[in-house]
Amino acid sequence: MIYVVDDDEIMAECIARACTGRGEVQIFTNAIEAMQAMGDGELPDLIFLDILLVGPDGFTFLNEMVSYPDTVKVPVVVVTSLDLAEKDLVGYGVVGVLKKEKMTPQEIKAYAEKYCG
Amino acid sequence: MGGMEKEVDGILVAAHELKAPLSVLRQLALGLPEMNAGGERMRSEMVSVSERAIKQVNDLTKIRRLEDGLFEMEPVAVRAVCDEVTQELQYLFSHNRRDLFIKYANRARLVTANRDLLYSVVYNFLLNAMHYSGEGTRAELIVRDVHDKVKVTVRDYGPTLPMDVWREMKRGWVEKPTSIAMRPGSSGLGLYIASRFSRYMDAKVGAVRHRDGTSFYVELPVSKQASLFG
Repeated sequence: MIYVVDDDEIMAECIARACTGRGEVQIFTNAIEAMQAMGDGELPDLIFLDILLVGPDGFTFLNEMVSYPDTVKVPVVVVTSLDLAEKDLVGYGVVGVLKKEKMTPQEIKAYAEKYCG
Repeated sequence: MGGMEKEVDGILVAAHELKAPLSVLRQLALGLPEMNAGGERMRSEMVSVSERAIKQVNDLTKIRRLEDGLFEMEPVAVRAVCDEVTQELQYLFSHNRRDLFIKYANRARLVTANRDLLYSVVYNFLLNAMHYSGEGTRAELIVRDVHDKVKVTVRDYGPTLPMDVWREMKRGWVEKPTSIAMRPGSSGLGLYIASRFSRYMDAKVGAVRHRDGTSFYVELPVSKQASLFG
């Protein structure tokens, strides 16, 4: 299962579409709903996470993720327009950073295949 | 808050506001299933337009960072930068049935500049030229030495630059994007960006009005550091 956490629904759908064929994809438009879903059910195999979210931002979400022994293991790909480097986020379990203005469906798909293949 | 700060903050806001929908547009275009030849052309245009717009938006955000002096000046290979820009824009020229003529006549290889900013200056000049050159005509990129400077000129064969804009360019400083209602169909944003970046690099920008078009140029100082080895 893949989570896409992005308050821009169209962008979230674009990401979800690129993951087609790699299992179920759930879209969350805020961090709280995504955290609750993880608490209620099974953990996702991969999360695509936007940083500038309405409400708690992506960094808050990442902090929550590393606070629990099970969620800390979930790989996260940050999808953002901010200038963030992967090396700055390694401590959060981030396995990749995709720039929104440059990423391609192939890059998204590659992550989905790698972690949900 | 001063007028300059207001202007810069306004630009920053506009840049961030524009970035998100442009990124979405690009993703939509990339995700379009290939329908037919017409659909493919539309898809290419959507990607191309959004990429260019994103680049301009990124340049606008850089303008804010100019204030902080975060862009290092260093020896930069002019030809390499021009090669990279022309390679990126070649598709666009071909797609719009314009020719791009390139001539390197400079001996000095390195100038003192910031690579990213110089890239944007050349990119915006060329994009401007592409836009204003008529179908089947060409734009020219010429690099040559002028005393202790390297001059990068982009010549188009479109409408001549209006006198008031030419005066601003001659002064070496384009005030703001809205002040240059340049030639039809342009906000003058690219020229504004090129002007700001050139000023940061202590490079001279200018324009020459021709009967059959306009040349825009930037003059960059030859790197003294590099000349020690030369």
